[in-house]
Amino acid sequence: MTPLLEASGVEVTIGGTEILRGADLTLEAGELVAVVGPNGAGKSTFARAFCGLRRPDAGTVRWSGTDLADLKGRKLARLRAFVPQRAQVPNGVRVSDAVRIGRSAHLKPLQGFTADDRETIANSIARAGMVGFEDRMLSTLSGGEMQRVQIAVGLAQGAPVLVADEPTAQLDLGATAQVSKLLRRLVADGLGVVLIVHDLALAAAIADRVVVMCDGRTIATGPPSEVLQSQLIADVWGVEAELVRHQGRSGLHVEWLEPTRAESS
Amino acid sequence: MSIRRTAVTVTLLVALVAAVVASLSFGAVDVPFSNVIDILLGRDTPGPQTQIVEVLRLPRTVEALLVGAALGVAGALLQGALANPLASPDVIGVTGGAGFGAVLIIILYPDSIALLPVGALVFGLTAAALVFFIGFAGSGGGGIGRVILAGIAIASLFGAGTASLMAAYPDRVPSAIFFLVGGLTSTGWNTLDQVWPYLAVGFIVAAFMIRPLDRLLLGDDVASSLGSKPRTIRLVAAFAAAVLASAAAAIAGLLSFLGLVVPHVVRLAGGTNNHTFVVPVSAIGGAALLVAADTLARVVRAPIEMPVGPFMVLLGVPLFLWLLRKAV
Repeated sequence: MTPLLEASGVEVTIGGTEILRGADLTLEAGELVAVVGPNGAGKSTFARAFCGLRRPDAGTVRWSGTDLADLKGRKLARLRAFVPQRAQVPNGVRVSDAVRIGRSAHLKPLQGFTADDRETIANSIARAGMVGFEDRMLSTLSGGEMQRVQIAVGLAQGAPVLVADEPTAQLDLGATAQVSKLLRRLVADGLGVVLIVHDLALAAAIADRVVVMCDGRTIATGPPSEVLQSQLIADVWGVEAELVRHQGRSGLHVEWLEPTRAESS
Repeated sequence: MSIRRTAVTVTLLVALVAAVVASLSFGAVDVPFSNVIDILLGRDTPGPQTQIVEVLRLPRTVEALLVGAALGVAGALLQGALANPLASPDVIGVTGGAGFGAVLIIILYPDSIALLPVGALVFGLTAAALVFFIGFAGSGGGGIGRVILAGIAIASLFGAGTASLMAAYPDRVPSAIFFLVGGLTSTGWNTLDQVWPYLAVGFIVAAFMIRPLDRLLLGDDVASSLGSKPRTIRLVAAFAAAVLASAAAAIAGLLSFLGLVVPHVVRLAGGTNNHTFVVPVSAIGGAALLVAADTLARVVRAPIEMPVGPFMVLLGVPLFLWLLRKAV
């Protein structure tokens, strides 16, 4: 079967600086892939490049087998939804309005919504767990609620892939867990999800595969338990740490400070 | 559509119809509305009242309606495209350019005063084109800050040109004042005959930009995710606004207040920023405000006509401030 997304050798240069020097990623339906790496590794640039928000300078990207260069406008919008890192929270926009705007990717100019579109809009709100919030203004939502609206907007696009850039970066523990469960539910429904995330413990807990990025390159990929070894964490992040998994729970045991003489002896 | 939005739309439509009735009936000579209807339907016996309504008031009312609608839409498009509540045709240089073009004709070529609308239109569009070129060209172009700063610079440039012309020919300044403060005249269909294609293009492009502007509301990244190009949306919406505002200036001089305030009133009253609501309802609101203000400007000190610009501000500001206080 053709993968939903195949990106290989993606390079991006911004203002003379090479940000991406060769990044690869594949995604199948019903799979959650987490892209992890230190700040400045090029995770967000990679996501923006394969999503077509910033066209890559080199490399190939295929969505469901079609080259990114041949996908424009509505065609691309129906193959992937991109949920940005920092949500813009405009005044005077209701939750239902925002999700309707997401569905507009399916309309020709001046065309109205069909009954089918309206059903998808209601479904997207329900899947994101935002029933009852339809008439709330975006400006009155909490960070976690806003993030779920962003995901609902992406779902309304009706694409088989959702790419979320650090959806939990500004959320508290409870909201992070809620969004994580939501993403897993979407994967169980058959969606492909790419998650850009810096939290290794979270990535280990919810991803089927992780892709590790460093200095603009993807340097490792595979199941979290195999890839996120102490040696790799030390090499990439320069930190002594160990990923601990126990009965579906995961945590990162980090050596935050230099070991004291008493402990090291 | 919610009850509130429907109520706002209906109220403004009723206000527009009332303003049109008043505009056709009242003035230096009052014509009963039943007569106006007869005249419009050609059921009357020709007389001075027919002349007044058909030759003077009907074209003027249509002009006021179209100019008001054009400025309301231009303001709504720009505020959406530049994501800036202060945006109006001023910020893309149209007002400065159109003012310069008109004053150029009035002061340097007073014998060719018929060219005034053309001068306003051409220079309004030229100023906007300069702003778009500086603001959108090259890599990194299309940023909101760059467009707005380019607009302020170009507006200052044309403003300086206008001021220099007025300083060089102080004796001819009075004839320019009417244009600069904004006002309609009873000159029949001539100006509209020249300008209507621009209005048509502006309104049609505006209709196509409503949904893309809604996408921009959720941010450039979401708009891109939905398959739109934020930079193109900004450029095309601003272009439509420039064409509408230049055409409006060609007809009625500089009435930039309307473009700034009407979309805000519509948003505050409707409780939504959705362009599907704001753009068309700003057209209705702008038309109602300008037709009403123009009628007042003719009636208050009849038979002397006041320029509509100041009257519109007198009508609009209290309403705007009241809504502003209620909203916060």
